[in-house]
Amino acid sequence: MSDWSQVTRPVPVPNEWTRPFWEAARRGSLELQRCQSCHSFQHPPYATCVKCVSVDLKFEAVRGVGSIYAYTIMYHTGDRRFAPAVPYASIIVELDDAPGALMAGNLLGAPYTEAKVGRRVEVVFEKLNDDITLPQFKLAASSTATTG
Amino acid sequence: MPKWENRCKIALSGVGYSKVTRSADVPLAAHALEAVRGAVAASGLEMGDIDGLSTYPELPATGHAEVDGISIVSVNCMMAMLKLPNLTWHMQVGSNNIGGAVQQAANALLAGVCKYAVVWRAMHNPKGTYQNLPGAQAAGASQFTGPFGFGGPGQHMAVAYTRYLERHNQAREKMVTLALTQRQHTQHNPHAFFYGTPLTREDYFNARMVAYPFCLYDCDIPVQGAVAVVLTTAERARDLQPKPAYLAGYGQRLHFEVAGRIGSLADYMEGGASSAKLTWERSGFSPKDVDVAQIYDGFSASVIYGLESYGFCKRGEALDFIQGGRIGLDGELPLNTFGGSLGTGRIHGLWHIIEGALQASGRAGARQIKDVNVSFVGASAPIVTGTTFIFTREPY
Ligand SMILES: [Zn+2]
Repeated sequence: MSDWSQVTRPVPVPNEWTRPFWEAARRGSLELQRCQSCHSFQHPPYATCVKCVSVDLKFEAVRGVGSIYAYTIMYHTGDRRFAPAVPYASIIVELDDAPGALMAGNLLGAPYTEAKVGRRVEVVFEKLNDDITLPQFKLAASSTATTG
Repeated sequence: MPKWENRCKIALSGVGYSKVTRSADVPLAAHALEAVRGAVAASGLEMGDIDGLSTYPELPATGHAEVDGISIVSVNCMMAMLKLPNLTWHMQVGSNNIGGAVQQAANALLAGVCKYAVVWRAMHNPKGTYQNLPGAQAAGASQFTGPFGFGGPGQHMAVAYTRYLERHNQAREKMVTLALTQRQHTQHNPHAFFYGTPLTREDYFNARMVAYPFCLYDCDIPVQGAVAVVLTTAERARDLQPKPAYLAGYGQRLHFEVAGRIGSLADYMEGGASSAKLTWERSGFSPKDVDVAQIYDGFSASVIYGLESYGFCKRGEALDFIQGGRIGLDGELPLNTFGGSLGTGRIHGLWHIIEGALQASGRAGARQIKDVNVSFVGASAPIVTGTTFIFTREPY
């Protein structure tokens, strides 16, 4: 299991496009930008809908369950902030409610060897400070049973 | 779709190299100058004949200062050194990599705004950690990746590679064939960083992991060095010293990415396919016609995405396609015959373009493939605003 206790994560700096995402996360809610015209979700937030170019975009809550779309196990210690945690799994998650909107995170609470494409995961919230909470991921309850 | 009306009207003439070193003891400007002088001399030209300059001066290492002449070599820096009396055109591309700088030079020659253009790529290896990421904050695009330890491009490319391997039920161990074959090819390229340094199966499998599925030998080594080419019209090239390599077609693709989104496998495939489509249509050739291929290999998986998205083999099959001697110098599709970036060190795609042209014109020396008529180049990772080229032996 990767030891995250000594890691100093860089703290996200919200901007006018991304602030609603981070404010929702601070409240323990996962909200993604959704096009009000074609109803597709997208992430990271952007000025226009990447599908239909509509500018009518709102943040809407999604269920924090999905699958690992892809991942990498980091071994290189060049980034000193993360060196204490190597090897660790950085994952890309596709949420069930937001197909195509890929979110980055870490696989927490499980050995990095548990990161596999297609594995079910659910969101957990990792508080960095009073302003910023990171949506992160752990194996979904149904998934842990099968992996021992 | 009709062929490109400018097919084979531009040619690549002389090429030049600097020393490729691990450390940056000599200012990068000196490397660039050495490569440019070499390319001009190899063409049989005088420096005063050069009237076009073009480059892509980016430093891919993050967290280091861009200092002109030290960590990048801009057009301005080159002109300050050369003081060309007859400069009539210059271009420094920002959005489409070194392949774009070559394409811009071809366009300028076709437009008749210069006669002999030099294109160089100079690459710096900064002291200390290559991807230097000391910040306490993740602003802008990195706010959705930086907090999770997504640092350099290796990890970004590694996530697409796990997707590839597991969706296609493939094994990363098969990549050893690419690493070993390219290192063998490197032994015929005295300019390459790893010339004289063999690589064994044991080396590959015992290598430390960098960002799984990439081990050390799946990543090109950062180096300090430069390469350069002279481009001119086909007509003028025939009067110069080297046998010209004719540009039969090229393609490019703008990767319209949303900042902070990590590129997916689909992005690589779409990027490569759309750039290659233009190249096949403009040149009138297809993958079956290709005698030798150079495919950008900053990370080994780029070659796999390239082979598939350019149309050399089917999706999910490239790791099998490269087996059995197919990509060796005697193989059915000799690949990265100069050693690739994995052999030369990280000089980006201009060296792939150089080798494509050398093979097309019979100038590749000990590693020359027999009877090359059609030579293909994919000059950057398919996702990174990929550029592709076809060079031919004759102006077919
Ligand atoms: Zn839309």
